[in-house]
Amino acid sequence: MRFVGSNAMLSAAGPVLFGGAFLAPLIAQSLEAISLPVPFGLEPIHFGLALGLTLGVLAAARGRWV
Amino acid sequence: MSVEATEMEPIAARSEHALKREEAAIARTYMGRVPWEMVVWGLGNFVLWLSIWPLTFTGALPIWAAFALSTLSITICYLPSHEAQHSIIAAEGSRLRWLNELVGHVSIIPLLFPYRIAWITHKQHHAHTNDPELDPDYGNKGDTWWQSVWNGIQDRQFGANSGNKNTLKRSDDPNIGKAIREATILSLAHYGIMTALAWKGYAIEAALIWWLPRHIAMTYIQVFLSWAPHHPMEETGRDRDTRAWRSPVGTILSMGMEYHIVHHLFPRIPLFRTGPAYHEIRGLLDERGCRNDRPDRQSLAVRP
Repeated sequence: MRFVGSNAMLSAAGPVLFGGAFLAPLIAQSLEAISLPVPFGLEPIHFGLALGLTLGVLAAARGRWV
Repeated sequence: MSVEATEMEPIAARSEHALKREEAAIARTYMGRVPWEMVVWGLGNFVLWLSIWPLTFTGALPIWAAFALSTLSITICYLPSHEAQHSIIAAEGSRLRWLNELVGHVSIIPLLFPYRIAWITHKQHHAHTNDPELDPDYGNKGDTWWQSVWNGIQDRQFGANSGNKNTLKRSDDPNIGKAIREATILSLAHYGIMTALAWKGYAIEAALIWWLPRHIAMTYIQVFLSWAPHHPMEETGRDRDTRAWRSPVGTILSMGMEYHIVHHLFPRIPLFRTGPAYHEIRGLLDERGCRNDRPDRQSLAVRP
């Protein structure tokens, strides 16, 4: 069934896309909102991208976020 | 017609068939009226949820209030669509069928649970309640409500072998293709909107108005619509696969699910009328051995 194939592809790419496209700016803006220093002297969005994409890749590998 | 009205013929003396016939006759008196309150609830709640966005962006609504309102709004958005899934607002072929479909599709958008997908999977839930293989809601089973919360979260993970996913794979419903296309469009639109908002500087607002409230709402709905009324999800058969029960948080907070046995027996009775219907047929239900965990369960004479 077509659904199964497309769903499997979305399942693999989805978390990485979500990590980079949504979690990254969310992490960056949250850090700025609560005035937390960004680790390693990075720009908030760069740190957000690093953490968001890492979480997304881990989720894709595990098949689950939690 | 009421249980009391049948005192001429004691319940204990009547056959299962006669009891069912009387039960159905009473149930029919609760069907047929358009539940306008559900139409207003479904469409009004959607407009309310939409209005949270501009109110928050303009600063008229603080973000904590937006989060609370949105969580409430998304939590209560499923029930009007559920009425539509059972064609309670208007039956197929009737003059107001378009309204049934409108409420069904629109009210549930914030939950990201497309109407047609909900309709297909919910029909399978009714047909196979508590069947480990075939009930799409079986993943919410748990010994306690917190175990159910955890199991439900696990079941919703994208890589999970979830009941809904398996039901859709198995489905031979003629609307399955359309349902999946609509689900894909809704999902892409959601993530597109979330991404655009996030990169415009509104990531926290997007997370607290849609993303997190939706997950909280989904969990709340699973506990009160799925876990509690079917707990412990071990029996099958329409008289025993769900129950009447008394919720420790009351009828409103448990979203009217205390009378879920009435819904499963007579799915065309509107939500607001399942309580009154239960109170009128409870003697018959108890006599037939339907599941009733309420303290007002009647201990009637055993039929010969």
